[in-house]
Amino acid sequence: MPDLITRHEEGPSVSVTDTPAIRWFDELRKDDRPQVGGKCASLGELTSAGIPVPRGFAITVDAWEQVIEHGGLREQISSWTAGVDPGDNAALREVQRHAVEIIGAAPIPEHVESAIRAGYAELCARAGVAEVPVAVRSSAVAEDGEATSFAGQQETYLWVVGIDEVVARIRDCWASLFTPQAIAYRSKLDDQARYEAVLMSVAVQEMVDAEVAGVGFTVSPRTGDPSVMAVNASWGLGETVVSGEVTPDEFWIDKVQRSVRSRTITHKEQQCVPAPGGTGTATVPVPAERADEPSLDDQQLRELADIMVSVERHYGAPQDIEWAMARDADGSHRFLLLQSRPETVVTARRATTPAPSPVTSYLSMVQSLSSRAGGGS
Amino acid sequence: MTTIENEPTTTESGTAAPTGGRRFPDPYEVAAPAGAENWRDMYSYFNLFLEERREKDDKRTWFRNGMQFPEPMPPFDIATADSAYMSVGVMNTRVFALPPALGMDIRVVNGHMYMSALGVDDPAELERRAAEFGPRVGHYYANWPDLYARWEDKVRAQIAALQQLELPALGDFEPQESVLAGRGVTEANDLLVAFQAILASLDATWNLHSEMLNMGYAAYLNFLMTVKSHFPEIKDQQVAQMVSGVDVLLFRPDDELKRLAAKAIELGVADRVVGVTDLGALTQDLSSDEAGRQWLAEWEVSADPWFNFSYGNGFYHHHRSWNDDPTFPLGMVGEYVGRLRNGEDLSRPVAEVEAERDAVTARYRELIPEGEARQAFDDALGLSKTVFPYVENHNFYIEHWYMTVFWNKMRELGEVFVRFGFFDQVDDMFFLRRAELADAVADVQISWCSGGEPIGPSYWPKIVAERRRMLDVLRAELPPPALGPAPGAIVEPMTIMLWGITDEQVQKWLAAEDDAKVLEGFAGSPGVVEGRARVVMSPQGLDDLLQDEILVAPITSPSWTPVFARIKGAVSDIGGIMCHAAIVSREYGLPAVVGTGNATSAIRTGDLIRVDGDTGTVTILDA
Repeated sequence: MPDLITRHEEGPSVSVTDTPAIRWFDELRKDDRPQVGGKCASLGELTSAGIPVPRGFAITVDAWEQVIEHGGLREQISSWTAGVDPGDNAALREVQRHAVEIIGAAPIPEHVESAIRAGYAELCARAGVAEVPVAVRSSAVAEDGEATSFAGQQETYLWVVGIDEVVARIRDCWASLFTPQAIAYRSKLDDQARYEAVLMSVAVQEMVDAEVAGVGFTVSPRTGDPSVMAVNASWGLGETVVSGEVTPDEFWIDKVQRSVRSRTITHKEQQCVPAPGGTGTATVPVPAERADEPSLDDQQLRELADIMVSVERHYGAPQDIEWAMARDADGSHRFLLLQSRPETVVTARRATTPAPSPVTSYLSMVQSLSSRAGGGS
Repeated sequence: MTTIENEPTTTESGTAAPTGGRRFPDPYEVAAPAGAENWRDMYSYFNLFLEERREKDDKRTWFRNGMQFPEPMPPFDIATADSAYMSVGVMNTRVFALPPALGMDIRVVNGHMYMSALGVDDPAELERRAAEFGPRVGHYYANWPDLYARWEDKVRAQIAALQQLELPALGDFEPQESVLAGRGVTEANDLLVAFQAILASLDATWNLHSEMLNMGYAAYLNFLMTVKSHFPEIKDQQVAQMVSGVDVLLFRPDDELKRLAAKAIELGVADRVVGVTDLGALTQDLSSDEAGRQWLAEWEVSADPWFNFSYGNGFYHHHRSWNDDPTFPLGMVGEYVGRLRNGEDLSRPVAEVEAERDAVTARYRELIPEGEARQAFDDALGLSKTVFPYVENHNFYIEHWYMTVFWNKMRELGEVFVRFGFFDQVDDMFFLRRAELADAVADVQISWCSGGEPIGPSYWPKIVAERRRMLDVLRAELPPPALGPAPGAIVEPMTIMLWGITDEQVQKWLAAEDDAKVLEGFAGSPGVVEGRARVVMSPQGLDDLLQDEILVAPITSPSWTPVFARIKGAVSDIGGIMCHAAIVSREYGLPAVVGTGNATSAIRTGDLIRVDGDTGTVTILDA
């Protein structure tokens, strides 16, 4: 089972120097997905739409393919994966161990590595600090969220500081393609799909030291009502909300009036903060006096709502977003959008037509008469 | 015609299932209060639950109509209920052939009105009705503004005809000129004809009341459902806001009071107007000079027709109008003078309200996908806005203007009875049923013809006294909001839109029996407020209402509109989002919860309550 198929087997070869190794978010659009993955393309698209998104860049799919070619990874990894039984977990873990080892030590082409170093240096310069904390995350090309999850394309490292750490975490993202689950998943695919399943980009994005963070839906997750938005929020970085470690505050927002329709303020015990050592994150107790306080006030919710509406309007479809609120030195706050994905679950559920009732039966006649009446207002 | 009586069988849509077989009180088991055991004597057989029909009638759900009929019915006054229900029924059943919904049966329990909808469920019959419905209602929708203009003419003609109707003098002799003209027919017959003409006028005018109303509500209900299909979480009041006219007749009488206040200042007679509650005395004073006479002329302009504005809702003989008793409008003119002198702007921000309404509508519209769906929204909205002037304005024409004229014409007849010794006071007449009154007319005819004595004076006074006493006993009782089993699906547009009776509301009423501290109703107007309650059961109670209290009433009347400037919030027993309390509260920006079923009995004056107009709940915080 040759697991790591490169495009050389599929199409004409491309000169390694033709395509850039990194691309800045602000030069990306959603059409760039094949090169930078969905996450980076989306962040680029949002940046260009004027939505506040933390600065960052993508290590392109091409850069990853060059790493594969340059280091002879295809041959090495294929030799490990060739005879593995996808049902044999111990064997798969053994493959993973080797892959991590190989990718961790693989030589990175000079122009790729220097581009990454220059990118990070630029981020530090723009942030005005020597070593800016960043998030390093996988950015999958595939559209199907479930498939990318199986394929090991949803790695995230937070509060990564220093260029050597950044490069190490980028290698970790690449290596995450070789989890036992991912190898087993790809083994069931045909050649083309297996090729596509390892197309991955990596995002390097400035960290937001979030005072509050969470998720938001631009339609009601309850009914899909497009005039209603929902926000979950908790103290600290958004990881506690995304992972379900805390029960976040829940806010329902009237999209038309931009007002808060209802709120449930919870007891928020834990928060995710930068780790004491300066690298990585830690989950610590929320100070008692803050645990039961609302994490956002009405004014802040209105600001967030405005951003959510801008994002939805930009895409012309319901969105499911991750956001963070930073507190600047002068005490002012600002919202940043960390991620936006199309909302698909409720939207799909809503597409089913309700059963006709006695009322709808005659109202449909009224409706058809109303169009004939020509409105008349 | 195949009809079904809405038995609580689970229909295909399954709406009866969630009630879990719960019941409201059985209409045959509701006890008469002590001292009013003979209440049935006041009403005709067709308004009663007959033991012989128990098998049929106790299987049906009966909703109390406390909106139009908040008090126990005086025997004659039920004629207005009969007329009103006939008119709603005939339009659904015979005129427009609304496919699934017919009219309503009505019954009285302990003096209170209950109604039960009739429906159609046979598919062949539904189809037959649908074939009739299309062209009939289509004609009305396509020609609505013209038909509305003609409707106004027809109603004005009814009002004029009734005003001009003359009752015979019934003096010692038939007028000489009619004898010399060889008329032959006498004033005895004129009395019968006049009596029948008054009743026929009531009947005809109530037909007109509903001529366009049911279909108006159907158009609005269609818009509501269209909007809800896109925005399942939208509140009814937000939908209502998209359609509501801002400049409606409902506000006109109040606007006239403001105009008269400004006029009084302008003419320099304000000091003579403020604090006066007796129009007779005021007229005498102001007639003495030119400025005063000018103001009185302005009052006359406003008074006809705008002060034919009932303190109640027009359904009861004792619901008098501002013209009958100008105490309240005069007092309000005085209050407005004070506010104008304080530099307040009393004008309603009509343009701003309209602009806000259109902006909100546009924002919802924008959220609907372009193409067919948005077109359907536009069509439904367009039709709703076309029908709405009628829906909002018919109430002034019929319930207020016409009914004021009607009750006063009936009182002219009552004066005949008083003259013939039947009663001490004119209003005693209304404690006879319609058929009994026909008997009394015959009694007058017979005795006037014979030159003998009428029998009525020996017969009626003690019956009237007993009925007055019984109604006082019944008035102290709290009627249940519904009777019989929990209902199946509710489909009739008036039931939903006007009375606020929906499947959800029934659930709330059932639940309310379990928790007396929290009352559930309709979110009538947004916002949350806490304050002291003032329970106002009738217009007389309005005088007690203090600044910043929360009005708790069975139902409010449009003529109560001016007091909304005084209160912090409103709660009603009955009413949907289009009821008066909700409309006026939205206009005044006051939180309101309507259709609670039993607020006036659960809440006492002085209770500290929280009115949540966003969720439709009222909480008794401190009783």
